[in-house]
Amino acid sequence: MAIKVLGISGSPHRHGNTETLLDSFLDGAKAGGAETEKIILKDLDYSPCRGCNACHKNGECVVRDDAIMVFDKILATDCLAIASPIYTMGITAELKGLIDRGQYLWARKFILKTLYFTDDHIRRHKGLFISTAGQNWDHVFDGAFPAITAIFNGTGFEYYDNIIANNMDEYKGIKNHPSAMKEAFEKGQKVVRVLGDLNKKG
Amino acid sequence: MPIKVLAFAGSPRRHGNSETLLDWVLGGMIDPDVVIEKIPLEEAGINPCRGCNACEKLNKCVQRDGMDICHDKIIAADIILLSSPIYCMGIASQAKALIDRAQVFRSRKYVLKLPVVPAERKGKRLGVFLATAGQNWDHVFDAAVPSVKCFYHVIDIRDDDISYLMINNVDEKGAIDLHPTARADAGTLGKSLITEIRKRLAG
Repeated sequence: MAIKVLGISGSPHRHGNTETLLDSFLDGAKAGGAETEKIILKDLDYSPCRGCNACHKNGECVVRDDAIMVFDKILATDCLAIASPIYTMGITAELKGLIDRGQYLWARKFILKTLYFTDDHIRRHKGLFISTAGQNWDHVFDGAFPAITAIFNGTGFEYYDNIIANNMDEYKGIKNHPSAMKEAFEKGQKVVRVLGDLNKKG
Repeated sequence: MPIKVLAFAGSPRRHGNSETLLDWVLGGMIDPDVVIEKIPLEEAGINPCRGCNACEKLNKCVQRDGMDICHDKIIAADIILLSSPIYCMGIASQAKALIDRAQVFRSRKYVLKLPVVPAERKGKRLGVFLATAGQNWDHVFDAAVPSVKCFYHVIDIRDDDISYLMINNVDEKGAIDLHPTARADAGTLGKSLITEIRKRLAG
């Protein structure tokens, strides 16, 4: 069975810096033998979490829209690459809207205790965060990491690596960045190899 | 001229913990000279930023939605408050959408080099960030603060002029009513903001 790699692009901007970097990662994964899929959040129809806590009772979200389909795909993949540009020191509202909708899985884990990821499951499910920022500050990604950690924890993924590139305003685009595109491709190949080795070892 | 207070309630849940905290602060501001307006973002119809960067040329957003009216109110206000619950270690996506749409102010300020508020109003605006979180971790608000600082920065409210009241360990609706200090702290904050803005506006 081929390793499944799912990329989620949280940018409102099609084929911008972040999605291009995600594409390079997915190309690397495909070159490594994986089956890849890309979801573009801006093309989907879903609303943000309503904070109604109805899921705390039965582990289901009362809002039936595309977010459920995305979480179904997340739970079925071996590797999850979540991509968002940095807007105002954080991830985009589109991606935050999706992440918050995972509350029903949190409820299954911590309130209803019907969902549990073993350490072995988590080891075999790798999550990566892919991001670009216009600013050149080193700390420009810091506000994004906690929400990304939250979705990886909530869906049973080990937070495996970041592929992040700042200073896009200066470089005038990701393709002019000295190393990011190559790094993304290589990390795509590598994660598939690592997951394949884990499967072989059993 | 009345003191204009603009309050954004960033939660999708009406009258939950973060909005209650906001109401308590606003309660401390009640005064004949003060006009308060509260906008629940859940009902404000503000779409996320599209990242098109058109505002860098047009000096306005290409989207016509609830942000049009909020844009003008943000410029007119003397005190701007934003409240949000913490979801998944960050602000609610409704609040993030408002903050990201402030990109038009950033473009105005840094790309087009135009004023956001007239020079004589600089230093005479105050900001407030209010948040509640179900988690009891002390660091649960850390990821929210940088976005909030950027928001206030681009609308000409200085870092030093932002007040914070962030209450953790309140989850279920109404939990904040049982918090030992939140209500009193919020009322005191509201009063002190009015005292401070009076001083600034007179100076």
